[in-house]
Amino acid sequence: MDIVFPYKIAMSFPGDMEYIPAIRKFVSEVLQVSNFSSKFAYRSEIIVDEISNNAVNYGCKEECACIDLECLIHEDRIEFTIKDQGGTKENLDKLHNAVNCTTENEVSKKALGIEIVRMLSESMDIKIDKENLTSIHIVRKREDSST
Amino acid sequence: MQSKELHIEINEVSGTQNAVIINFSGELCSLCISKISDTFDKIDFNFTSNKFVIAEMSEVTMISSAALGEFMGGRKRLIEKGGELVFAGLNIELRTKLNLMGANKVFRFYNDQRSAISAYKWEYEKHPEHLHLSFPPYLKLVPPIRSLVSRVARQKGYGNRDAFRIETIIDEVCNNAIEHGLEGQNNKIDMKVTIDPGKIEFVVTSISDPEKMYALRALLKPEEDATKWRTDDKRGRGLDLIKMLSNELSVECNEAGTSVHVKKLREE
Repeated sequence: MDIVFPYKIAMSFPGDMEYIPAIRKFVSEVLQVSNFSSKFAYRSEIIVDEISNNAVNYGCKEECACIDLECLIHEDRIEFTIKDQGGTKENLDKLHNAVNCTTENEVSKKALGIEIVRMLSESMDIKIDKENLTSIHIVRKREDSST
Repeated sequence: MQSKELHIEINEVSGTQNAVIINFSGELCSLCISKISDTFDKIDFNFTSNKFVIAEMSEVTMISSAALGEFMGGRKRLIEKGGELVFAGLNIELRTKLNLMGANKVFRFYNDQRSAISAYKWEYEKHPEHLHLSFPPYLKLVPPIRSLVSRVARQKGYGNRDAFRIETIIDEVCNNAIEHGLEGQNNKIDMKVTIDPGKIEFVVTSISDPEKMYALRALLKPEEDATKWRTDDKRGRGLDLIKMLSNELSVECNEAGTSVHVKKLREE
């Protein structure tokens, strides 16, 4: 059966750096078999790497913490939603500021990863619930969407 | 210039059998090597069993070569008793310096305490880790999925042969799930992977197509006489291949869905 758009792949993996290279490569390969260009796949790989690294570094407090990543693949775009259990208040504030800052001057050295994601994506939203569960939603559009 | 005073605190890690954290803060200069040595003496004296010691260094601003030598001595003592000493939370500057000194060939470095404890639990307490994947039944997605599991296995220390066999098993199980499952993106295939240092297990669950159930059951039916297999028989070879490559295979098949459970022990 041929791929029918849109379709969703959901995954959950341990909050451990060791899993990130395999996950980013997986997303890249999924995009390539879904007829996205290798350039688009590579740039999406970078997004996955950055958001997963942030989730592991700042969103996992317990040893058994896991990260949920959802990829909703449309014909012309991919939407990522990454959820973690949330970090300290300080880290959440930094994340909120990094996602919401609009000018280049506001970007601190520590928030460069988020800045790269912003550069490579169409939109980025963050949701933090009362229990500090953090969810980031990113949309990246196909660059050659006319074809 | 006055050096920042060294503080050392030893704590057992709750929820673990043998992990200990030594929190260092300040400067580890050549004048304080006796303090480091005393710390390892305390660990030797107070904890008789093999200890996995995590040196928490996020508050350390300097490490002298003499102090590093003392850590090497401490690690040797721990290793003789079946333990280990690792570093966690080193800042980039210190980590670079230790790498230049070749310390990364002796010690393992972890980004933070949590990663070091996870590594201990994985290696010493054989805690399993779980990977969960849900995907629509498209054959084109199978190659990325098989590569994902294979990469995870290699990353977790499995050898190339094991990783390749795992990849082959995943390929067969997923292809079967797609072939015998209901078509359509809403009929997701669910894959749960559980990996520990000794074995990997997969459970692949799909919603079976009622029209294909008969063929699936025929494939699962144990062959009474092996000689009945004909060389031109092209069905059911995938399952035989999985049986050959794995240590345990069970299939639960009912009207609601089919669940394939495969266990593969680590060989190398």
